Amino acid sequence: MFARKVPAFTFWRGVLAVALGAGLYSAYLRFTAGLGASTALSDSFPWGLWIGFDVLCGVALAAGGFTISAVVYVFNIDRFKPIIRPAILTAFSGYLLVIVALLFDLGRPYRIWHPLVMWNPRSVMFEVGWCVTLYTIVLALEFSPILLQRLGLQKPLRLIRSTMIPLVMVGVILSTLHQSSLGSLYLIVPHKLHPLWYSPLLPLFFFVSAIGLGCAMTIIESFLSYRAFRKSLEIDLLSDLGKITVVTLSVYLILRLQDLIGRGVLKEAFEPTYEGRMFLAEILLGIVAPIVLLLIPVIRRNHFSLFVAAVLAVLGFIMNRLNVSITGMEGALGHYFPSWTEISVTSMIVALGFALFATAVKYLPVFPAEDTRASGDAELLAPTVLSQPLFSSTTLVLALGGFFLGSSLLLGGNGLWLRMQTKETPVRAALGSPPGMADRYFTMPADISFPKAESSPGQVTFRHSSHVDAKQAQCLVCHQERFRLLKASAPATRAGLDLHSDPFCGACHNGEKSFNVKEDCQNCHEAK
Amino acid sequence: MPVSPTAKKGLLFDVTRCVGCGACYQACKERNRLPQTTTDFLQDHLSDRTFTVVNKRQNRFVRRLCMHCEVPTCVSVCPVGALEKTPTGPVIYHEDRCIGCRYCMLACPFSIPRYEWSKVLPRVRKCDLCAERLANGQPTACSEVCPTGATLFGEREQLVQVARERLAATPATYKPGIYGLEEVGGTSVLLISDVPMESLGYPKGLMKEPLPLLTWKVLQRIPNFVIAGSALLGGIWWITSRRDKVKQAENQPEENK
Repeated sequence: MFARKVPAFTFWRGVLAVALGAGLYSAYLRFTAGLGASTALSDSFPWGLWIGFDVLCGVALAAGGFTISAVVYVFNIDRFKPIIRPAILTAFSGYLLVIVALLFDLGRPYRIWHPLVMWNPRSVMFEVGWCVTLYTIVLALEFSPILLQRLGLQKPLRLIRSTMIPLVMVGVILSTLHQSSLGSLYLIVPHKLHPLWYSPLLPLFFFVSAIGLGCAMTIIESFLSYRAFRKSLEIDLLSDLGKITVVTLSVYLILRLQDLIGRGVLKEAFEPTYEGRMFLAEILLGIVAPIVLLLIPVIRRNHFSLFVAAVLAVLGFIMNRLNVSITGMEGALGHYFPSWTEISVTSMIVALGFALFATAVKYLPVFPAEDTRASGDAELLAPTVLSQPLFSSTTLVLALGGFFLGSSLLLGGNGLWLRMQTKETPVRAALGSPPGMADRYFTMPADISFPKAESSPGQVTFRHSSHVDAKQAQCLVCHQERFRLLKASAPATRAGLDLHSDPFCGACHNGEKSFNVKEDCQNCHEAK
Repeated sequence: MPVSPTAKKGLLFDVTRCVGCGACYQACKERNRLPQTTTDFLQDHLSDRTFTVVNKRQNRFVRRLCMHCEVPTCVSVCPVGALEKTPTGPVIYHEDRCIGCRYCMLACPFSIPRYEWSKVLPRVRKCDLCAERLANGQPTACSEVCPTGATLFGEREQLVQVARERLAATPATYKPGIYGLEEVGGTSVLLISDVPMESLGYPKGLMKEPLPLLTWKVLQRIPNFVIAGSALLGGIWWITSRRDKVKQAENQPEENK
């Protein structure tokens, strides 16, 4: 099995190589020049693509894992057993990639372990940190039988299998907490997130939509794995997954709409704003369209059309997370578009995910075709998929993705233009004395008397009143850099220094800005 | 105004008294050893090198700085407790704990915390209400140098009284209300003005309850959720697996016959 010839240079391997190359170069920039130089993030927009896509969407990949394992192990519905391994593999790779993305996004990635030691249980981020850690461990254990089986280690395999039930239960609880807590992250920004997305129900929305994504992703993986390795699942099972997806998405849609109506903000969706357009695109293309497609039995019974519907659901899900984390925030925080470095790091992480999944499917017993089912079954499956010509299906997928992206960009661009149109032009403040000047008073600091040197013709006293216009006092004309302010309360001892020179009185009393210190001693020095 | 060392401190900024001299801006730079960032301080903005600014808006001068909330959002969202609300008022930052997740920056209702974007190992930077000076019984640097008393330092309770007295003494001069008295549960920095603070760039429509309550309402349910969830899952598993066993037991004798 391992003694293979040198891998051929295919299109997808080329894509992988490009993504890896660009991503590694961006990684180099990120870790040598810092976040400011390598990202479009700023003080006003501190969370961008890496949080919005890599973390929010990556974590949701795990939803399939916990849903299916709960169905099989807790509810004892054995029919779904063949899906469990690909779902857990997806979840595991999703979490590993989230950790990689976090290492890019955190300002100090080497302190990623801090939340485990330095506790703040009131922080949602603290909960997120713990869930990532614990669920990654649980997923590693849930995934280990696949590896152990491949290596033929029977003893540890039996040990793990005997603990599978409690392990799955822990996983379900952790995952429920984690999926919803990503929504809770945004509960604390009610004044910043647009009302079309801000809701007290955000944790619930994140949880339900993640389950939908989990099912859709399993369908997609099954299709792609078949295309690549001729390893797939029965259409009956996938069709049932499609049904579950429809139910989940419908529940999700009803919850979202009810919430919008309840808060009285549904009308904002139909206003010609950037946010309104993006919201409609998300709901119509990403939720309604896959529901309609998956309701049609013919589409559900065909590997390829099922795959297309699942792709739509996944794109809609991604759009939702980006809308919550970016679009919905832009009104309050200003415009954000990721830099090419951010995009290429994200592409690298996605490419790594595909590569990880593909490698695992190739070398490990992930799909049941090899070990539990006769090889003949795989042949039976073939005609339904192969009836779709390889080239045309790829074109169709690309066209669909292009349409989706293009339309959302177009809607976004149009909305952006509208937003710029209605934007108030900032009133440039006119110069002049502010009104109500009589109410203000300016307390001049105390006079500063400099100690008299032996050669001095007389005592010098500095008076703010003769240097400053009380109506338009501009302290920083003098106190920026030249004369330090905080030392004003300290005794003004300038003994041993020539106050006539530049950093002191001579700075302005040079005959140009004001009379020269050399003109008349009596100007400053008191007569004896 | 006598100031007790243990009492909760604060600042009162009176927009009607500020002449825009910039002394507070400069004093802040000097006390925090920050580099100069501009030639015209009125045009400057908050950054990792500027913790307070004086801006001209609506023909008035208005300061911006960390509000030092009574129940700070940044403190509640920080996963590692790098931000801390001290008993005397200042919200301070522990650099050695910070992992750089920037949740504080996203969550702050006043959008105050700034990040050292140009550094490879950045810190969050913001006003710390001169916590060190307060501990030594000194006022904040900005209030000490203010020539007009527009920035007043004192115990928060006393400042509220001062503000109320000013509002009562010349009601025509001021818009009613003290900004920061109730916003997001109250702040240590209070502002009074002759125009709405919202028109001077301060966020409007902030809720009266502290924002951390929004997430705490959800987070405090976790222990109950874990217990109830485990019980529910365990129960379902017990029922379903027993059902299978019963089915097997019923089927087997028949097969044996």
